[in-house]
Amino acid sequence: MFNEDTILLLYEITDVIIAGLSNGSVYALMAIGMTLVYGVTKAFNFAYGDFFNMGGYFAWILIVGLGLQFGGYITVLIIVLPLLFLVGYGLEKFMVAPLRKRADWENRVMMLTLGLALFLSNLYMVLFGTKLKSLPPIMDGILEIGQIVFSYQDIMIFVLSLGGILTFGWLLNNTRTGMAVRAVAQNPEGAKIVGINIKRIFASTFAISTVMVGFGGILLSQKLFINPTSGGSIMVKAWVVTAFGGMGSIRGGLYAAFIIGMMEAFVGWIFGMSYTIIALFVLLLATLVIRPQGLMGKGA
Amino acid sequence: MKLKQMAAIIVIAYGVLAVLPMFVGDIPYIMNILIMCLIWAVVASSWDVIMGFAGIFSFGQVAFFVMGAYCSAILAINFHIPPVFTIIIAGFFTAGMGVLVGLPCLKLAGPYVALVTFGVHMALQPLLKGQIGIALGSGGALGLLAIPPISIFGYTFGTDNIVPTFYLILVISMACALTIMAMVKSYWGLAFLALKDSQPFATSLGISAFKYKLMVFAVTSFLTGIIGGVYGHFYGVLSVRMLDLDLFSILMVMILAGGLGHFPGAIIGSFLVVAASELMAPLGVYRAVTMGAIVVVLVLALPDGVMGVFSKRLNNHAQKA
Repeated sequence: MFNEDTILLLYEITDVIIAGLSNGSVYALMAIGMTLVYGVTKAFNFAYGDFFNMGGYFAWILIVGLGLQFGGYITVLIIVLPLLFLVGYGLEKFMVAPLRKRADWENRVMMLTLGLALFLSNLYMVLFGTKLKSLPPIMDGILEIGQIVFSYQDIMIFVLSLGGILTFGWLLNNTRTGMAVRAVAQNPEGAKIVGINIKRIFASTFAISTVMVGFGGILLSQKLFINPTSGGSIMVKAWVVTAFGGMGSIRGGLYAAFIIGMMEAFVGWIFGMSYTIIALFVLLLATLVIRPQGLMGKGA
Repeated sequence: MKLKQMAAIIVIAYGVLAVLPMFVGDIPYIMNILIMCLIWAVVASSWDVIMGFAGIFSFGQVAFFVMGAYCSAILAINFHIPPVFTIIIAGFFTAGMGVLVGLPCLKLAGPYVALVTFGVHMALQPLLKGQIGIALGSGGALGLLAIPPISIFGYTFGTDNIVPTFYLILVISMACALTIMAMVKSYWGLAFLALKDSQPFATSLGISAFKYKLMVFAVTSFLTGIIGGVYGHFYGVLSVRMLDLDLFSILMVMILAGGLGHFPGAIIGSFLVVAASELMAPLGVYRAVTMGAIVVVLVLALPDGVMGVFSKRLNNHAQKA
């Protein structure tokens, strides 16, 4: 019925789709972290991509540097995620919060985090060298269903990042802190009046977004290597997903992440990896011109 | 700040630089650094105009600089047009690109503008390295290696006779600085400021946001493109490594050190930062880390830069008198 070439092509396409799905799930994690921090605190974090790498490097230190034997990635997550939370919390509290007094604080924050991005990416280069670092896969082996081959690594990445998103969504809807975060996003003044400690919410939100992107870093760095200078392009990617999905919309971010993950996988497969950022940029411009509020965002 | 003060600061800053070759004219290393000061002063001040005055958060200035440099160099190499003309063509080309990038930015809020312009920056490197760039004559990852120097009436301005070249670039750089000054102090500059402070109110007074925002993109990228062309012809080599974040960060430090939105500040800032960066050369790999840390510290501790401190002094003095 089909000749051999067509079948091979079909397998290749399946592989590309699997890669798109597992990348897309991590992008969703990153985009939701970003939509959260911008939607709630209005602070734009230019160092976002460098926290992605921070997650990757922390995991690398534990697994490769210190040769962690016990528990593998579970131990890594237990140690690294709280650490990332502390970093994010401290950053907001000691660097971003003091700037809020100024009239043009949003721009100042952008410059501050840009400086931080440069600091971090160069620090990584000094500490870990320019050579790319790789993490061992979270789970070895492959799963064969008929002729289609899934690696357990892809499946774990997909499951863990979707699990992270669902946990986060549950927290946001069902805990007091989550509700406070949503209240601050809707109306900071009103939240203050009903007695919500808005400063604490700002810092926690920033910290949670750091955790989400760092978690994404731990997951995706197993496939893509940890590159000290990749922070900028990761930040742009997260932001394009966020803008495409619609600012402040978690569901939009989820859809956008998978669409962009797929698009990237196919563009990379057909034209080569260096064209993916150009494709992203074209998609971004098209979104902003045709539908500035994004897929699921509310109108301005 | 008054026009006279601004002009005085610019003239003094450039004057000091103009005197220096008398003492160090025979040391090519120092002359190179002085020329760097002149070139970055223009890029940093154009960036400051769009970011500080017009309040548009454009991160595309380095991209425009590279576009200008490549445009001028490619025209000179492939079409044998004299560099004097290619630099001007590069200016207009970059201004056109500025308008093109500016158009989608008009309706967007701060971080989106930053994203689009930063996206231009990020997309330019693969574009120049890849097939499209090679087809245009960018030389791919290797870059351009044999860019002809500027020559006027048969007299060549190159690294061999560096002192005259220095003065030529000084004249170009100062002309750009004075253009920026004239613009900032004119009706246009007021319109930029008004749009930054409150766009609805400014529009209600009949200031066209569309016109002036595009104008600021066009003018700043024009100046950046021109100085980019000059840079390419002076150095004779260009590569996409300029788009790495090092240059980006150092320009950012210049603007912050001088004072964001305090115009002649960026010029002073770039002179100071180029000098400081050379002094920091022994730090080696730690230099870029230090630069990043300096940005953070400057934003937190010295929000208005050197010029902010200076103009505060000046105001206090004026009140006492």
